[in-house]
Amino acid sequence: MDSRKITIEEVKKIAQMSKLNIEGDEEKFSQLLSQTLDYIKILDELDTSEVSETFQVTGLTNVYQDGSQKVTLSREDALKNVKETARNLVVTKGVFDRE
Amino acid sequence: MSKLNELTVLEALEGLKKKEFTSVELVKACLSQIEKYDSKIKAFLRVTPEIALKRAEEADKEISTKGVEAFINKPLLGIPYAAKDNYSTKGVETTASSKVLEGYVPPFDATAIKRLDEAGAILLGKTNLDAFAHGSSTETSDFGTTFNPWDLTKVPGGSSGGSAAAVASHMVLFATGSETGGSTRGPASWCGVTGVKPSYGRVSRYGIVAMASSTDSPGPLTKTAEDAAVVLRVMAGKDPLDATSLQTEVPDYLAEGKSFSMKGIKIGRPVSYFEMELEEGTRKKVDEAVEVFRSLGAEIIDVDMLSPKYSIAVYTILQRSEVSSNLARLDGIRYGNDRNSFGFEAKKRIMLGAYTLSSGYYDAYYAKAQKVRTLIKQSFDAAFEKVDLLVAPSMPCVALNVGESSNSPMFGEMMDVLNEPSCIAGVPGISVPCGLYNGLPVGVQIMSKINEESKIFGALFNYQGATGFHLEKPALIKE
Repeated sequence: MDSRKITIEEVKKIAQMSKLNIEGDEEKFSQLLSQTLDYIKILDELDTSEVSETFQVTGLTNVYQDGSQKVTLSREDALKNVKETARNLVVTKGVFDRE
Repeated sequence: MSKLNELTVLEALEGLKKKEFTSVELVKACLSQIEKYDSKIKAFLRVTPEIALKRAEEADKEISTKGVEAFINKPLLGIPYAAKDNYSTKGVETTASSKVLEGYVPPFDATAIKRLDEAGAILLGKTNLDAFAHGSSTETSDFGTTFNPWDLTKVPGGSSGGSAAAVASHMVLFATGSETGGSTRGPASWCGVTGVKPSYGRVSRYGIVAMASSTDSPGPLTKTAEDAAVVLRVMAGKDPLDATSLQTEVPDYLAEGKSFSMKGIKIGRPVSYFEMELEEGTRKKVDEAVEVFRSLGAEIIDVDMLSPKYSIAVYTILQRSEVSSNLARLDGIRYGNDRNSFGFEAKKRIMLGAYTLSSGYYDAYYAKAQKVRTLIKQSFDAAFEKVDLLVAPSMPCVALNVGESSNSPMFGEMMDVLNEPSCIAGVPGISVPCGLYNGLPVGVQIMSKINEESKIFGALFNYQGATGFHLEKPALIKE
């Protein structure tokens, strides 16, 4: 019986979801990720039943630009690092026919 | 007079104003130091001498026509610096030390770079870091490790290790770093320089390759606390391109710090920090630093705070979660290379983050961590009810051997344990050298409430005025 928190099967699934190729390292990732989750158990020592989450620390809300900043990059600049372009647009692989 | 590259920012500004030397001479002195030592230290990923020399000539021209007036709107005119390679620099390759971004030339500048540029500072090159800033040694860089100028068998710390090593070896007058959970204070401590983790939001994150957006805090690495005050003032400020940037005015840190009096100031000594496993030599040096603050007029008070050991777990969950989300944008379509170029460390972090954010595990990990974050923040709030500042070691030990980090899947998190709580709570902290142990620098840090950096600077100006640890130089560069 595998006592690990993240099994090799789960590792494969997460890698696929994250679009990462981890072939050959599945065992290593399962071991390392499980070790990390084991350490995280330490948080169970703290009672947080009456505590709410802190998602941000600045207290800023509803921050908007004043509208003067209309264009940050020209089309030419935005396409400078693109591998493949056509008619001034980015060329990508098909979305629905990939594995 | 010391060699030009060994001057502090303030000394160099003084010399430029008095026309004792030119910016071109200053830049050339730094370039020759890089040429002499960087084959051993490997702080730089790339150096940009042509651009720098051209800018220096322009600076000299401006100084010769306008005189001292030139410095009014350009407080860093003619001063050479290095940028960590996760800062986007227009026209200069920016990789964040990852092969995923190899060859990527940003069409824009990070806001902090733009501000330094407008202030007249001269970019000399880009420094090494752990790939995507994931690490605390620079060993996860896809382009090789940086070595510690104090001992080439040791790591410089990380992730801003290249910047810290470049400043420590006097290759530049200052450098930029960024801290998410110890990445500026850590390498500052291990390389014997001053490192600033400002309040979250004080320096814009725009254009800095994102790691964990809710704690990423860019800041300077310098030779002295006074230099840090001058550079931070330039880098800081509200930015319409970063909605989390603090909207309050940026104070004149140098002037406010200089008028700060230590008399009657209460400095808290968080007991739980000192209860962590600290190397004896580090403990001794930090204890001595605490005594210096006491002798300068501060009242030292023990304060109870939540143990930093919980911050390791909170930081790990938050950082991995935000990394998995932030690095999802790297698809190799609009810029950079495809996801096969990710190194082992980045893959590990992305996968754990995807796991802790996934349905069924979110409450157990991510939500739990955000709740403990509330407790950590409350712990700081309570401490600052009683004291003005906090003092603690920056790192639990001095620089480790090259190769040692590979034995632990959470090496960075363990090493950064004394910096993670303040990062999670968003409070600022500045690390300065407080002596040597086994020939390696030890760092002490001062923390304050959010937006009270001036008080930290005040305490550190007093400290550096009374001690000479920040003036020590690595034996390597004395040869």
